[in-house]
Amino acid sequence: MKQAFPFLALAALLSSSAEAQDGTSVIAVPPLTTTDDQPSPVGSTRTIAWQATQLIVSDLQSTSEIMVVPPDQQKDYYSYPEVTAPTFSRWRARGAKALITGFVQARSDGRFTVGCYVYDTEKGRELGRTGFVVAPADWRRAAHKCSGLAYQSLTGAPGTFDTRIAYVASTGSATAPASRIAVMDSDGLNHKFITPSDAMVLSPRLSPKGDRVAFVSYASGKPQVWVGDMDSGQERPLLANDLISFAPRFSPDGRRVAFSMQAGPNVDIYIADAGGGVAQRLTTSPGIDTDPSFSPDGTKILFESDRSGYQQLYVMDTTGANQRRISFGGGWYGSPEWSPDGKKIAFTNRGSDGHRIGVMNADGSDPRLLTSGPRDDGASWAPSSGELIFQRTDASGRNGIYRAPVNGGEPRRVQTPQPGSDPDWSGVVD
Amino acid sequence: MRSAFLFAAAVTLATTVSAQVRLPVVVPLRGSGQRPAPLVGIDALRADFIARSGSDLVYFSGDSAVLSAQSKATLGAQAQWLRLHPEALVRVEGHADITDTRDHALAVGARRAEEVRDYLILMGVPPAQLGATSWGKQKPGPARTQTVLVR
Repeated sequence: MKQAFPFLALAALLSSSAEAQDGTSVIAVPPLTTTDDQPSPVGSTRTIAWQATQLIVSDLQSTSEIMVVPPDQQKDYYSYPEVTAPTFSRWRARGAKALITGFVQARSDGRFTVGCYVYDTEKGRELGRTGFVVAPADWRRAAHKCSGLAYQSLTGAPGTFDTRIAYVASTGSATAPASRIAVMDSDGLNHKFITPSDAMVLSPRLSPKGDRVAFVSYASGKPQVWVGDMDSGQERPLLANDLISFAPRFSPDGRRVAFSMQAGPNVDIYIADAGGGVAQRLTTSPGIDTDPSFSPDGTKILFESDRSGYQQLYVMDTTGANQRRISFGGGWYGSPEWSPDGKKIAFTNRGSDGHRIGVMNADGSDPRLLTSGPRDDGASWAPSSGELIFQRTDASGRNGIYRAPVNGGEPRRVQTPQPGSDPDWSGVVD
Repeated sequence: MRSAFLFAAAVTLATTVSAQVRLPVVVPLRGSGQRPAPLVGIDALRADFIARSGSDLVYFSGDSAVLSAQSKATLGAQAQWLRLHPEALVRVEGHADITDTRDHALAVGARRAEEVRDYLILMGVPPAQLGATSWGKQKPGPARTQTVLVR
C-alpha cells in the first residue's frame, strides 16, 4: 500500500470547527468547477470534477449527521471566482445551511490541483478549506479529504471517508480453506491482498498510520503474532519464541504491540516493541486475559479476563498496575475496543440467546446492546467514534462484515469480494 | 489442509471398524465406486494410532480444560502407542466451542491442547514428540482436542 499518497497540502486550514449542531446539517454540494477543461489519462478535468462531486455527495449521504442538497449538473455550476466568493443567498434559498465549493485544475506537470471550501451560508463565513496536488489517478483521495473537511466542519468529529478497512478474506474452497489479509478503502474501493494464501491468518490490526499491520498467522503451525509492512510487503514474527500468541493491537504511537501469549496453563497479556524484542508480561492472573486495547492517550489498556469465572472487562495501566473490573452487567463481556475519542467502549456480549455487539461508557457505566446477533463479534470503531464495524456469522456458518451507527440504526453489509471476517477500521491517514 | 481432509476420512473409517480389529493393514478409501487403495505411510500410521488408542479425540465441556476419567483413559492409550512409536511426532490441536468470542476461543483451545500435552508427558511420552496448537473456533465442532500424527 502506498502509505503517503503523493500530494502536497496547499492549505489545510481548518477554522475553529463549526458549532456542533443539533440534528442534521444540510449542505449544498454543487458541482466542483474547472476553468479550463483539460484531458488526462483518467478523464478530462471537467469529468473528474463531476465525478469528485458525486463522490463527495455519496460520502456525506452515507452519514447520519449530514443531509445533502444534491447537485443539479445543468443549473448549479458556478464560476471559478465564486469558489471563494459564493452567493450565499442562492444556497440558503435551497435550504442549505452549509455549502461546499471547489475546483479541479490541470497543472503543467500533468497533475491536478483539487481545492475545497466549506461555508456557513447563514453567517456567510468560511468554515474551512483544504487543497492538494495529486496524480490524476488519486483524485478520489482528494475528494474523500473534501468530504472529511465538510464532515469535520459540521460535526466537529473526523470523517471516515479517507480511511481503510483491513479484514480476513476467506479465499479457499470448502475442501481447501485458505485465508488472506486484505485491505480496502472504507468505501470498498482499492481492494488488495497483503498476505499470501499459504497460511491461515486471523485478526489484522492496522498501525495508527496504516503503514503496518499486526496479525495472527499459522505459518509455524500454531497461532503467532506477526507484523507486516504495507509498503515492502515483508512480514515477520513479532517474537523469537515458539509460544502461542494472538490478539495483537498497536499502541496509539505505533511503537508497541500488546497481545496475549500462552505460557503453561496461563494466557496473559504482554507488551513488546513493534520491531520485536522481549515481551514484558502485564497480567499474571490464572485464567485467560486477552483482547488488549489501548486508551487513545496510550496510558491504559482495556482487556477481557475470565478471572472472576466469566469473561468480563478490565482496565489497567500500561505497566500492568491498577487492574480493575469495569463490566458488571448480565452475561459475559469480551472483545472490547476503546473508541478513538476515548469516551466509549465497544464489546461483544455473550448472553443466553447469542452474541451481540454493545457499547458502554469508558468507565463501564450505561452498557447497551446495538445489534441483534445472534453471532456478532469483534467490533472495531470508525475514526469518527460514531460507527462500528463488526463480523456477523449467519446460520450456515458464513461470515460477513457489517457496519452500524452507534446512535442506532440497522447494520448494513460491507461488500467484499470473498466472505470476510475480523474487520479492523484504520484511523484517519494523513 | 489436504492431509487433514484425508485424515478425517480415515477417522470416519476407523470408527466404523470394529474395535477388535487391531491392525487394519488395508483400509479402503471412502467413496462408493472407487477402487479400494491401501493406506501407506502416514495414513496407515494414523489409522493404526486411532484404532489402538480408541480415538484421537478428547472432549471437554463448557470453557473447561479439565480432563474426564474417560479422556484420561483415551490419552493413556494414546501415550502407550506413542511410547512404542518414538519416531512419530504428534501435534495436539485444541478447539473451543463456537459460542466463544474469537480470541477467548483461541485461548481456550490453547489451554486444552496444553492440558492434553501435559497429560501425555505425565504418561511417559517424551516432550520432544509432542507439539500443541489451537484452532480456537476456526474449525467448528464439539469442544475437543485432536491428537494429530504429523510424522
